[in-house]
Amino acid sequence: MSPATIDIEARVLIPGHATGPALVLDDTLSFWGGFEPSNGEIIDVHHPQFGQLVGGSILFIPQSRGSAGTPGGIAETLRNGSGPLAFVLGEPDVNISVGTLVANRLYELEIPVLEISLAAMAQIRSGDSVTIDQRGIVVAGA
Amino acid sequence: MQLNRLDQERLDGKLGKAMQFAMETIVTAAHIDQAERLIDISFAHIDACFYNGRAHLDFVNYMLEHGATLAVPAWTNNGLVSLNDLSLRDPLASREMDEARQLMQAYVKLGCNPVWTCAPYQLPGRPELGAHIVGSESNAVSFYNSVIGARSNKYGDFLDVCAAVTGRVPYSKLHRDEARAATMLFDVGNIPQEIRRDDLFYHLLGHFIGRNTGNLVPAIAGLSDDCNEDDLKAISAAGSSSGSVPLFHAIGITPEASTIEVAFQGQPPQRIIELTLADLQQARAELGGNSDHALSGIALGTPHFSYAEFERLVQLLNGRCVHPGLVFYLTTSRHVHQQARRQGWIDSLEQAGVKIVTDTCTYFSPAVNGLRGKVMTNSAKWAYYAPGMLPVEALIGSLRECVESAVSGEVMLDPWVAE
Repeated sequence: MSPATIDIEARVLIPGHATGPALVLDDTLSFWGGFEPSNGEIIDVHHPQFGQLVGGSILFIPQSRGSAGTPGGIAETLRNGSGPLAFVLGEPDVNISVGTLVANRLYELEIPVLEISLAAMAQIRSGDSVTIDQRGIVVAGA
Repeated sequence: MQLNRLDQERLDGKLGKAMQFAMETIVTAAHIDQAERLIDISFAHIDACFYNGRAHLDFVNYMLEHGATLAVPAWTNNGLVSLNDLSLRDPLASREMDEARQLMQAYVKLGCNPVWTCAPYQLPGRPELGAHIVGSESNAVSFYNSVIGARSNKYGDFLDVCAAVTGRVPYSKLHRDEARAATMLFDVGNIPQEIRRDDLFYHLLGHFIGRNTGNLVPAIAGLSDDCNEDDLKAISAAGSSSGSVPLFHAIGITPEASTIEVAFQGQPPQRIIELTLADLQQARAELGGNSDHALSGIALGTPHFSYAEFERLVQLLNGRCVHPGLVFYLTTSRHVHQQARRQGWIDSLEQAGVKIVTDTCTYFSPAVNGLRGKVMTNSAKWAYYAPGMLPVEALIGSLRECVESAVSGEVMLDPWVAE
C-alpha cells in the first residue's frame, strides 16, 4: 500500500464498484455538444481538458452543465464502451446519474456514481489510482 | 422518502417492467435531490426524442416492449432531422439519420403528441399558472416557469419520459414556493426607451442576465409595458444559453411578479445591477458584433418562429426578395407553419427566397445544407451555439437589420449599435 493513500467518504448516488486511474476535470462539462459519445472525447473547445479521452478512467467532475441531452450522451458512451468506469461528482447531479442508471439497466453494467465535496476532490490528481467499493469509499493513492 | 401505496406498487413491478424502470429512475432522482415526497404532474415536454446515439433508441424500445404508456399529455421537442424534408439529411451519416427518424417515430408510438417544437408554449393548450409540469428544453423550461408561471425543474433525457410514464416527479427545487423567489435585480430603467422597444434588446438582455446571474433567481425592473411573448421568449432562450436561468421574473409583467415585493417574497435583493448601454454593446460584441466580411446567410427562428414573428417578417420584407447568393433559413413548428400558410405567408416568403424548415433547428449540423461563412441571426441562442456546430461566424441583429441585410446582400446595422 502506497504511503500516500487517502480514504474519502462519499455519498452513493448509484451503487457499484470500479478500479482505475483518476481523470480530474477542472471545469463542468455538457455531455451534449461538449462531448463526443461515439469515442468519449471532450470536444468543448473552451474546456481545459479539450481533446482528452475519458474512456477507462474514474472520472472526477464538479458537475455537468446545461443541456437536457447530457443523460443521452452519458448512456451512449457507456453503451459503446468509450466511457469512464465510474463518476465521482462534486455536486448531486441528476443528469449524470440518470444517464448512468439507464445504461446500467439496459446494458447490464454496474457503473457507480458518487458525490464527494469539492474540497475532497481537490486532493485528487489525474493519474492517481482509485478504488470504489459498494460502501462508496473512494481510495486514492498516488 | 415517503412513497404512497400506488408509487410503491409501481416500484415493486406490479404495474409492469416499464413502469418499474420509470419509477426506479424517479425515486433515484428524488434520492439525489433529497426530496421528501413525489408530486403529480399534468404535462411533459419530451427531449429524449432528440437522437444522440443508439442508447436513445434502446431506451424507448425497452419502454415500448415492456408495455409503457403515458400518464399525462406529452409533447415532443425538436428532432435531429426534419420528418417533412428529406433533402435536409446528411447523406454521409445515413445510419444516424435513419435511427434519428426511428427514434422520433418510437415516441409517436409511445403516445406523444408529435409537435416537434422547442417552443411548445406557442401552441394552444398550454399549462396554467401554478401547474406542476416537466420541461426539458432549456428555453421552454425558462418560458414555462417565468412567463406562464407553471412549475418545472430542468429535466434531462430519460427522466422526462419516466416522469410522463409515472405522472410523478420529486417535490424539489422550482416546484417549491420558496425556490421561486427572486434574489437578484437587473434594472434596465437607464436604457433609452427606443432601445428598450427594439426586439434585439431582449436578446442582449437575456445574454447579459445569463452571464451574470450565477445560481441566483433574476428579476428585471423597467421593461416596457408593451413587451410581448416573443420578447420574453428571447430572454428565456438567451439566458439559458449564456448561463442557466430556468426562472426569471419581469416586474409588473410576469405572473409571479406583480411588484418587486411579491417577486422577492418580501426579502431584499442579494445583488442589484443597473444596466448601461455599454453592457448591451458588450453583449452584442460577444454574440458576433463584427460586421466585417461578406454576408453569406441568414438564420431565423431559434427558438421556433411564432405567428407574430411571421407577420412582422412579411411586413418588413414588404414584397422584396432575398439577395441572390444568400441562403436564408427560417425554422418553425408544424403548427405555426400551418397558421402562416393559411395567411399566404409561407408561399410569399418561399417566393422571396426564404427556406422554411420544420421539426428541427438549423444549428444541428446534419440537418442543414449551405450555412457557412458569415451568418446573421436575430437569435442570441443561435449566435451562441452555431459557431461550435457549423462552419459559421455569427452576427446578431434585430429582425429589421436581418431583413435589410438579406435584401441588400450586405450587413446593414441600425445607428445605435454602429456608434
